[in-house]
Amino acid sequence: MKRKGGRIILVLLAAAALTAGLSQCVFLARYPYFRKLAALNGISLKEARKAWGRPDKTSELIMGMVVEADRENWPKVSALAAEKDLKSEIGTYYYNLANAMQDRLPDRLMDYYQPFERGLFLPVGPSSTPFRIACAGDVWFALGYMPLAERDAMLGLLFSPAHTGPRYLRRLAECNLVSGDSEAASKYLRILLNDPSERDWARERLPGNWRPDYQLRIAEKRNLAPRFDLVHGMDQAQLVLRILLSSNATNKTALDYLLCYDLLTKDLDAFIADYDPSLTASHLYEEAMLIFLAAKGGMTQENFVHYHISEATFNSFNRFVTIYKRDGGNARNLTAEFGKSYWYYFYFAERNEKN
Amino acid sequence: MRRIEPLCLIALTAALLLLSCGRHYDVRPYGTGTDRTSLLFPDYQDVTIPCNIAPANFYYTDPEGSRFTTKFSCGDVSVTVKGREVIWKERQWTGLLEAASGGDIEVESSYRKDGAPVSWKWSIHVDGDPVDQYLTYRLIEPGFEVWDDLEIIERNLGNFDTRVISDFRHTGNRCMNCHIHSQGRGDLSMFYLRGEGGGAILNRGGTLRKLTLRDSAMISPTVYGEIHPEGRFGVFSTNIIIPAMHSAGGLRMEVFDKASDLCVADFDGNRMMTFPETAREDVMETFPVFSADGRYVYYCTAPALPLPAEIDRLMYSLVRIPFDPVTGALGSPADTVWSAAATGKSVCHPKTSPDGRWLLFTVADYGTFPINHKECDLCMIDLASGKIIDLSAVNDDKSDTYHSWSSNSRWFVFASKRGDGLYGKPWFSHVSPDGTVSKPFLLPQKNPHFYDTMLRSFNVPDLGNSPVGFDAEAIGHMLEDVTAEQFE
Repeated sequence: MKRKGGRIILVLLAAAALTAGLSQCVFLARYPYFRKLAALNGISLKEARKAWGRPDKTSELIMGMVVEADRENWPKVSALAAEKDLKSEIGTYYYNLANAMQDRLPDRLMDYYQPFERGLFLPVGPSSTPFRIACAGDVWFALGYMPLAERDAMLGLLFSPAHTGPRYLRRLAECNLVSGDSEAASKYLRILLNDPSERDWARERLPGNWRPDYQLRIAEKRNLAPRFDLVHGMDQAQLVLRILLSSNATNKTALDYLLCYDLLTKDLDAFIADYDPSLTASHLYEEAMLIFLAAKGGMTQENFVHYHISEATFNSFNRFVTIYKRDGGNARNLTAEFGKSYWYYFYFAERNEKN
Repeated sequence: MRRIEPLCLIALTAALLLLSCGRHYDVRPYGTGTDRTSLLFPDYQDVTIPCNIAPANFYYTDPEGSRFTTKFSCGDVSVTVKGREVIWKERQWTGLLEAASGGDIEVESSYRKDGAPVSWKWSIHVDGDPVDQYLTYRLIEPGFEVWDDLEIIERNLGNFDTRVISDFRHTGNRCMNCHIHSQGRGDLSMFYLRGEGGGAILNRGGTLRKLTLRDSAMISPTVYGEIHPEGRFGVFSTNIIIPAMHSAGGLRMEVFDKASDLCVADFDGNRMMTFPETAREDVMETFPVFSADGRYVYYCTAPALPLPAEIDRLMYSLVRIPFDPVTGALGSPADTVWSAAATGKSVCHPKTSPDGRWLLFTVADYGTFPINHKECDLCMIDLASGKIIDLSAVNDDKSDTYHSWSSNSRWFVFASKRGDGLYGKPWFSHVSPDGTVSKPFLLPQKNPHFYDTMLRSFNVPDLGNSPVGFDAEAIGHMLEDVTAEQFE
């Protein structure tokens, strides 16, 4: 009898362990990016739940974008962003970044939710969440602006659940390798070398170990760096983009970011000052130019040629204006046909200060 | 089949466990262009240490080396340590220090590399002048004007004991500024708890007070300053501080003042005093400290400029004005001690030695935020002769600043970013009566790899001759239960 009772307890314990194990497996299968982001932060799943709460489909999607952006797997970031219109600043931020890295930022800009400039650069301030701060530097690293990429990685590290994590340490090492500060980089590389899961990554970046493709990567990043020093405020994204461009006019990603920044903030004067049609082209820029030219009385053939404005875009604009005027500025009959045009954004998008 | 004896099995398991417990550190990268350029870290070769310092544990940085042996000797005392990590038994270290006090510890290092022996000799000078036993510092991640999980620690320099004297756990994770002693006195010190319910925490003889050091005439709450040696007054700057960034990689953050003035706090009369000479709009004044005898105030001053556009022209001179220790009044005129115009450099953080002999300060190319200026070096004046003392043995190629004197004026500690250039660490130098300043040594740690993984700066290390009479719990009580005293 006693033996039988013992067996039952054993079976029950085994069943409980199996259930717990299965439940964990299901959890991991449902939320793989949650697990990967926890690893990038150097924390366990339990610590991740404590720091970020229990994941859901939305947070899993955003974490997926963060993880894939960390790998610079931009097509995957785009695919994740396109899965669901999250109407979130952070989702748009990664969607924009992924499109920019695939050289299609202006072409896709109006295809999805744009929370004005906050979808290009995540504000870092007292009201920013640690999660958002940790993401803010990804765009600066992509653009080649190491001072802010390093700052945001430092802040990411500072506000990360364990005050460490490969995600930030790797970025800090690379920022300093790009800046040529190998002494600072060595600090982070040494820490990563002592982490079994990061050892290979760090080893390949030790001085003298760089493979040709990594040498090329660093050379490309260095080529984007400002050639002069200017002291600027902590949140002057437009100025920083202009600094990048005045040092390297071929930094097309920075140029598109600047032009899109001008357009998302509806600052057409700045757009005209920054736009050089010989350096970049997009139907977005054509659309913006038409608003400007119409307002300034510049609808001439000469301007159309100079700004590469196609006849189709011009005709479309005329149609938009006709309906707009006919309906007294009402968007109702414009949404279906022009909802993804810059004209629609310019006339109807309103800031949501709650975000 | 032979049966394994249970005892053997236990011994084998224990041996395996012991082997698996021994942590192997990857010490790379090392050498030129890294933060580990010396064969030892911390590098204690040919440094001067005080007779009361904790064991100087270190490790060899050469990753290709093996069979490391280190032999320390002084007179009849000899200790040999085998292995990459040289970690002292406290009793052995104390014995060696006692034997060597006033003399040298001779050291022979040897190891094998690529099958060949490598060996060399070096020494550690043990000075008979003790350093103040306690060091307070704020542990902070380099965070661009934001913070998380701040702690102020008091370290016993004779061993590895640390004590938290204020921290995020007891203060709702609020900002707190660094703790400073007056002339190395543990019974006279202060620091700030910022934010709602905070204030300046003044420690006089272990009695704590929470003070709102601000009146309507001041442009901001008090920021930098020092307590008068007699304890009644404090001199402070008020600063409108602006953070900014350099676009050039590696220069990082720049911080400058949009405006700054001086003021005096009377801790007995609960009043603030400002003076026309040090509250001009066209001139900025900052980093005030008292002379050792308390009859003067040294501070840094610069003409106001359009900033940040002209930041590289912003240069502070070091000046001195009379202070009346009876009334608390700042006199005039200000005498120039060190001229920015004459040198083309900018001064920060003056600190007089408690015996009044030396004035130590930092010099940078420009500005008022030396911790991110690689060129920033310490500079010292002999106040008896007016001569500049050579500190080439002390300064390095990264920021050296935030210094403090031992109460016997024979040692100073400073925060240096040498090595990685990012994280400040406390270094100590000895000053002999003739002004010879020794090669500095890094604060010893129990684990010689401690600094390898440390991701926080030792901010404003400050020496004290006795423990401060409070702890983090007392500070939590000050925050929660004590109303700040208002100053008029």
